[in-house]
Amino acid sequence: MRLNLKLSHKGLILVSVPLIFELIFLATLTALLRQAEIEVQRQVRSKAIISQANTLSKLFYDAGVAMGGYSITKSPLFSDRYDKIVRQIPQDLNELKNLVGDNARQQQILQNLQGITITGLKILNEAKAAIDDNRVDVAQFRARHMYKEIRSLADRLQDELRGLTEDERKIESEGPEAQNRSRATVKIFLVVGVVFNVLLAVALALFFSRGIGKRLNVLTDNTIRLARGEPLNDPLTGSDEIAHLDGVFHSMADALIEANRKERAIIENAVDVICSIDVDGKFVAVSPACFNVWGYKPEELMGRRFIELVLPEDHQETIRSVRAVRAEKGRTQFENRTRRKDGSIVTVLWSTYWSETERSMFCVAHDITQRKLAEEAIKASEMRIRTIIENMLVGLIIVTREGIIESINPSSERMFGYRAEELVGKHLMTLFHDSTLFAVTSAQDCKNFMEGVFQKSLNRVGEFDALKRIGEDFPIEMSLSELETAEGKRYLANILDVSERREVERLKKEFVSTVSHELRTPLTSIRGSLTLLNVGALGALPDQAKKVVGIAERNTIRLITLINDILDIEKLESGKLDMVLDTIPLSNVLERSDQAVRAFAEQNGIRLEMTPTPASVYADGDRLVQVLVNLISNAVKFSPKGAAVTITVEEIPNWVEVKVIDRGRGIPAKYKGLLFQRFQQVEASDSRKKGGTGLGLAICKGIIEAHSGNIGVESEEGKGSVFWFRIPPASSRHLLEQKPAQTLSTAPPPQGVAINQHGQTTQNALAGKEDKLVS
Amino acid sequence: MRGEMKVLIIDDEEDTRQICSMSLGLIGGDQVLEAASGQEGLALAADQQPDVIILDLIMPDMDGAETLQKLRQNPDTAGIPVIFLTVKGMFSEFERLKSLGALAVLTKPFDPVQLSAQIQGILNAAKA
Repeated sequence: MRLNLKLSHKGLILVSVPLIFELIFLATLTALLRQAEIEVQRQVRSKAIISQANTLSKLFYDAGVAMGGYSITKSPLFSDRYDKIVRQIPQDLNELKNLVGDNARQQQILQNLQGITITGLKILNEAKAAIDDNRVDVAQFRARHMYKEIRSLADRLQDELRGLTEDERKIESEGPEAQNRSRATVKIFLVVGVVFNVLLAVALALFFSRGIGKRLNVLTDNTIRLARGEPLNDPLTGSDEIAHLDGVFHSMADALIEANRKERAIIENAVDVICSIDVDGKFVAVSPACFNVWGYKPEELMGRRFIELVLPEDHQETIRSVRAVRAEKGRTQFENRTRRKDGSIVTVLWSTYWSETERSMFCVAHDITQRKLAEEAIKASEMRIRTIIENMLVGLIIVTREGIIESINPSSERMFGYRAEELVGKHLMTLFHDSTLFAVTSAQDCKNFMEGVFQKSLNRVGEFDALKRIGEDFPIEMSLSELETAEGKRYLANILDVSERREVERLKKEFVSTVSHELRTPLTSIRGSLTLLNVGALGALPDQAKKVVGIAERNTIRLITLINDILDIEKLESGKLDMVLDTIPLSNVLERSDQAVRAFAEQNGIRLEMTPTPASVYADGDRLVQVLVNLISNAVKFSPKGAAVTITVEEIPNWVEVKVIDRGRGIPAKYKGLLFQRFQQVEASDSRKKGGTGLGLAICKGIIEAHSGNIGVESEEGKGSVFWFRIPPASSRHLLEQKPAQTLSTAPPPQGVAINQHGQTTQNALAGKEDKLVS
Repeated sequence: MRGEMKVLIIDDEEDTRQICSMSLGLIGGDQVLEAASGQEGLALAADQQPDVIILDLIMPDMDGAETLQKLRQNPDTAGIPVIFLTVKGMFSEFERLKSLGALAVLTKPFDPVQLSAQIQGILNAAKA
C-alpha cells in the first residue's frame, strides 16, 4: 500500500498512534483501579455491618440481662443500664441501616430486625412497667412469657443478624477473589499494553524510515550523479517534501545543464580567446577563437607557455602584469603585443582573474589591434587638426550660445592682442567695438549683441567692427557655425581680419580713379587735337603730315580703348560693372549698334545685313550695344572686302539668340577655347594689323554672363565664323529679378531713372563706345 | 550746325576747354564761353545766360556737382540745361548726376567731330 503522506503527516502518525493507544490503556487501567477501590470500600463496610450487628445483638442481650437484674433487684443500677441500652438500640439500628445502604436482601433483614427490635423493646418496656408497678407477678409472668418471647426474638434477631453477618461475610469472602482477579487482569493488561505500544511504535518507525531513507538515498545518489555529470534517477513519485525536493533538484540540474551548454556555446563561439593558464604560465584550456586571433588551433597552444606568443619587447611588462594579477587576487587587465603564427603583430587586451584555489589564471584575450590603430589614427588626426587650428591664419573662437568664450586659437590671440587665458570666460562682445557703446556686464546688452551676431553671421559671412586690446578698432568678417559637443551646443566663430583687404580695395579704387582721370584728361587733349588736325579744322595739311597725324590719332584712340577695356575688365572681375536692367526691344539695340559700326564697315567695304525683330529682352541696353558692336566690328575686321556680315535674331525657348555671321578666314579649333580669355588673339600679329586690345571678347563674355546668358562661337577654318550669344527674354524678367545680386553684378536701380530718355541713352552709348568701333 | 547756340564750358583744364571749344566751333558759328572754375562759371552763366553749360565733374575747390547745385539755386541760372563731360566712367555716377539735375553725361575723351552733334541731339531730345 502506498500512502501519499507528507513527512509531517508521517511524524504526526508516528506520535499520535502510540499516544492514542496509551490513552486507552490508561483509561482502562484507571477503571480497573477504581473497581478495586470500590471493592475495598465494600469490604470495610461489610466488616462494619458485621461488627454493628454483633453490637446490636449484644445490646439486646445486655438489655435482657439488665431487665432480669432489675426485676430481681429493682436496683436503679439495672434500670439505668436498661434505659441506656434501650436508647442505644435505635441509634445502633440506624447506624446499621446506614451501613447496609441499598442492599435489598440486607434491607429486608434489617426491616425484620427492626420489627423484632421494636417488639422486643415493647416487651421489655411492659416488663419494666410491671416491675415499676410492683406487679411482680404480672411482671414475673410477663417476664417469663416475655423472656421466652425475648429469647425467641433474641434468637430471631441473632439469626437475622447472623444472616446479615453471613451475607456480609459471604460478600467479604467474595472480595479478595475479585480483587486478585482484577489485579491479575491489570498486570496482564499492563504488560500487553506496553509490549503492543512498543511494537506499534517500532513498526511505524520502521515503515516510515524505510520510505524516507530510500527516497533520501535517491536524492543523495542524484547529487553524486550530477557532480559526475551522469543522468539523474527518475523523479520520485509522491507529494511529500522529499519528492518536492527531488523535483526542484531535477529542475536545478536541468538549469545547470542548460547553463553549462550555453557557457560552452559562448566559449566555443566567442570572438575573444577564453583560456586558462596554469601557475607555470602554460595554456591548460583555450577556446577556438585563438585560431582567428593568433592563427593557432587550440591543440597547438595547449601546454605551451603563453609568454611565447608575446613579443620579446613586451616580456618584462607582461611578467610584471601577471605578477600583479596574482598579487591582486582579483580581476586585472593589461595589454601587450603578441605575434600571430604568420608573424604579424596582434595587440591584445587581457582581462584576467587569478584563482588561488585552482592555482590558475583565467583570461579573456581581446584583439584590440584595430582599436589601437583607430585610436592612433584618431590621435594623429586630432594632432593634425590641432596643428592646423593652431597655425591657421583665420581666427577661431568657440563660444556658448550666450556668447561666453570657451577657447581661442593663436591667430585670434594675435588678431586681438589678448592671451587665450585672458579671454576664456569673457563675453564675445569684449572683442567688438560694441563693447565701447554697451556694457559687457549687462546681461541684456550681451543678449542683444548675441542676437545681432547670430542674425548677421550664423552660417553666413557678416562684417563687424572688432576691437583690439589696445582699443583700436578694425574690420573683420565673421561666420558662426553650430557645433554639437558633449557639453551641448557651441558656436565656432571664424574670424578674418579684413583691414588689409579693405586697404587694398581702397587703394585699388583710388588707383582706378586716378588712372581713369589722370590718363584720360591728357588723352582728351591729344585725341581732340589730332582729330581736329586730321579733319583739317585747322587748315589743310601736307599729305605726309596728314598721314603721320592719322597714325598718331589711331594709336591714341587705341590707347583710350585699351584703358576703357582694362577698366571694364576690372569692374567685371570685381563684380562692379554698372548695369541697369530693363525690358527693352532688341530692335533698338540692333539699330544703335548699326549706327555705331556702319561707318567703320563702309570704310572696310563690308555690307551689314540686319532684319528687324519683334523680340524684347530684359537687359542693360548700353551693355548689349557694347557687346554687339564688339562682335560686329570683329566680324568686319576679319571679313574680306565686299563680303557681308549678317546679324540674325531668333527666339528659342527660354532664350533670345543673336548671331553675328561673317565670311572671314574662320578660327582654328584649337583657339576656340581661348578666344574668350583675356589678351587672346588668333595671331599675335593681329593686334597690330587689325588693332584691338585682346580684351573685347572677354568683356563680352563678362557682360553676357552678367545677364545670366551664354556666349560662344562656331567656326570652320576658311569658311567664316558665327559668334552668338543668348540672353533671357523679357518674359523671364521675374526670374532674373529674384536672382541674388552676384549673378547680375549690380542690382537694378529704381525704374525710370536709368534710361528715361531714349535719345539720351543712344547718344550716351555712342559717346561712350564709339571709340571702340575703330579698335 | 547753326551758329545761334551759346555754349559755356566750365573745366579747370585749359587744354580740354580749348579742344572742346574748337570741336564745337568745328562747323563754325557757335558762340563758346570758357570758365576755368566753378565760381567763374557761375558768374559767367548768370551774366551771359548761355543756351547750354558743359560742366567738368572733377575740379579743385568747387567740383561739378556742387557747381550744378549752385546753378540750380540761382533763379537766373536754374533753367539752363547742363551736360556733364567727365572722365569718370561709372554708370552709378551718371545716375547720381542726373538726379542732381544734369541733362546728360558725356565721357572724355570725346570725338571732336561728333561732339557738337551729340550736344545738339541731347538738347533737341530734351525739348521734344
